[in-house]
Amino acid sequence: MESFFSRHRNLIVLLAALLAQIIGLAVQVRRPTRSSATTAQQRALEMAPRDRGGVMLLRLWAADLVTPPERLFHAVDQGAVGFWLGYLDLVHLREQNARMQQTIDRLRLEQAMMQEDVRQAVRLQALLHFQQSYPQKTVAAQVIGTSGNLQSHLLFLDKGSADGLRTDMAVITADGIVGKVRDVFPHTAQVLMINDGTSGAGVVLEKTRIRGILRGNADGQTEVVGVLADSRIQPGEKVLTAGGDQIFPRGLPVGTVERVVRDPDRSAFIDIILKPAAELDRLDEVLVLTDLQLELSPAIESDLKQSEAEQGQAAAAELAREQARRKAAEEMAERLPGLNGPAVGAVAGVAATSTATGAANGAPAATPPPAPKPIPALHPDRFSPGYGAGSGSASPAPETGSAPSNAPAQKPQNRRLP
Amino acid sequence: MTGLSTDLRREMEIRRYPLAVYVLVPLASLVLQAWLPRVLGRFAYFDLPLLVVLYFSLVRRHPIHGTLLGATLGILQDALTQGVIGIHGIANTVCGFLAASIGIRFVVENALLRVILNFLFTLLAGLLVVFVSSGLLGLQVHWRVLTQVLVAAGNALIGLVLFPLLDRLQVKD
Repeated sequence: MESFFSRHRNLIVLLAALLAQIIGLAVQVRRPTRSSATTAQQRALEMAPRDRGGVMLLRLWAADLVTPPERLFHAVDQGAVGFWLGYLDLVHLREQNARMQQTIDRLRLEQAMMQEDVRQAVRLQALLHFQQSYPQKTVAAQVIGTSGNLQSHLLFLDKGSADGLRTDMAVITADGIVGKVRDVFPHTAQVLMINDGTSGAGVVLEKTRIRGILRGNADGQTEVVGVLADSRIQPGEKVLTAGGDQIFPRGLPVGTVERVVRDPDRSAFIDIILKPAAELDRLDEVLVLTDLQLELSPAIESDLKQSEAEQGQAAAAELAREQARRKAAEEMAERLPGLNGPAVGAVAGVAATSTATGAANGAPAATPPPAPKPIPALHPDRFSPGYGAGSGSASPAPETGSAPSNAPAQKPQNRRLP
Repeated sequence: MTGLSTDLRREMEIRRYPLAVYVLVPLASLVLQAWLPRVLGRFAYFDLPLLVVLYFSLVRRHPIHGTLLGATLGILQDALTQGVIGIHGIANTVCGFLAASIGIRFVVENALLRVILNFLFTLLAGLLVVFVSSGLLGLQVHWRVLTQVLVAAGNALIGLVLFPLLDRLQVKD
């Protein structure tokens, strides 16, 4: 027996190692129960399996083993890059600085305007009783590593549970969503990116409002699955998070439609290949949404107040101009008290138009001017208005010079301006 | 590839390394495998832990060492992913054992032979990963031949540079 073990020692060790790992695989893999999920968001949440205690411990050990050197590598890398950019590569720095300052000024103005829109949207949502939360509380983290596997799209962050990170928190950049926190260790966190095959998130197409599940495919691309074939879906359409999965807030940019392909498994469905909004291959810093409550920062509040003050000043100036126009119209009406004819009516019409404009801004509306009457002729003839009204004849009057009996007896008044 | 008897092969040369090399080189391979994709993006076509397993298996010529090193590094590789732990463990275990067995029977000091062996073993590891994932676990795995060939080619090229560097770390008797 001893000779058997010594003779086949290598093979026995190999078989033992393989057997132990196969048993480990069997322990980890659980057969999925029949899905009772009804919504896309629930199905997306079910796609991410959870670890048991021992496996979690193994992952913790691996992370603890790998992440400290990774931090060192990252620090050295950042230091080298910073030294190069900060001390050596300073060509055209002044021009670039001036351009960037202009950009900052412009962006501050744009930000103030956009925040006004945000506040208006939040007010409208509150009015409509939408239970919409808006993300603001975030933790900035640096990407220090990956899983190192082409089939596994994971990131390691330099922040962990000690910094307030928890599992299933959304990870975003300024451009769009990146993924969600999968595992959290004391000083490190693991992020499952949206282009991983096991990730899932509810998304909606911006224009067509078609909903689907976001996940990654074998090529590392992000795609929306579970969508019925629809000719309205065109390349370039934006895709946003649908919300409702309690991970990603609604309305965050996910990407744009790159192309539409037929689902190989279900002929009635299509897969929408996306171009991610965030640069998933080149991530350095990300934001982890730690709270979904809306809370505007003091700087944003200050910008909003300034914007409101500027808008108030503009409205006051417009009101003052309007009052000046009304006053001028009233003065003109006082100077021309007897004007009732059409020539004056034209002037009065201008004033009336001004006052009507003022009425639109809350001022009382003026009485509309009377309808113009024809000026009586000095020497009426048969072509004069009202000449044949009494006779009912349409024939021209004889040019005798005598006034007809039904000619206007009174002298025309106000026919000439004083 | 020159065929030799097992005893003669071992008598001819038994390579030994400082303990620190056995610890730091596999650890460095894990760290670099996790860190370099940040720099190289989608062009990270290599599998450094497997390369380290192959190197130590080939030069140590000890199947048990190759088996255990492959299992350890493979499990650690799996632990850095979100997937099931043991997939790469099994693949690297088999590759470590086979590489050590080949190292016993044949002289593999030639650079071209090393390139070919690295290429073939990397392909084998990829096949084993797919087999364990889809065959044993029933997971949906998309086998990308081009990607795997690129990884194998990357490993072969890196091995061409890495193996001579590691050769310099051995303890001379």
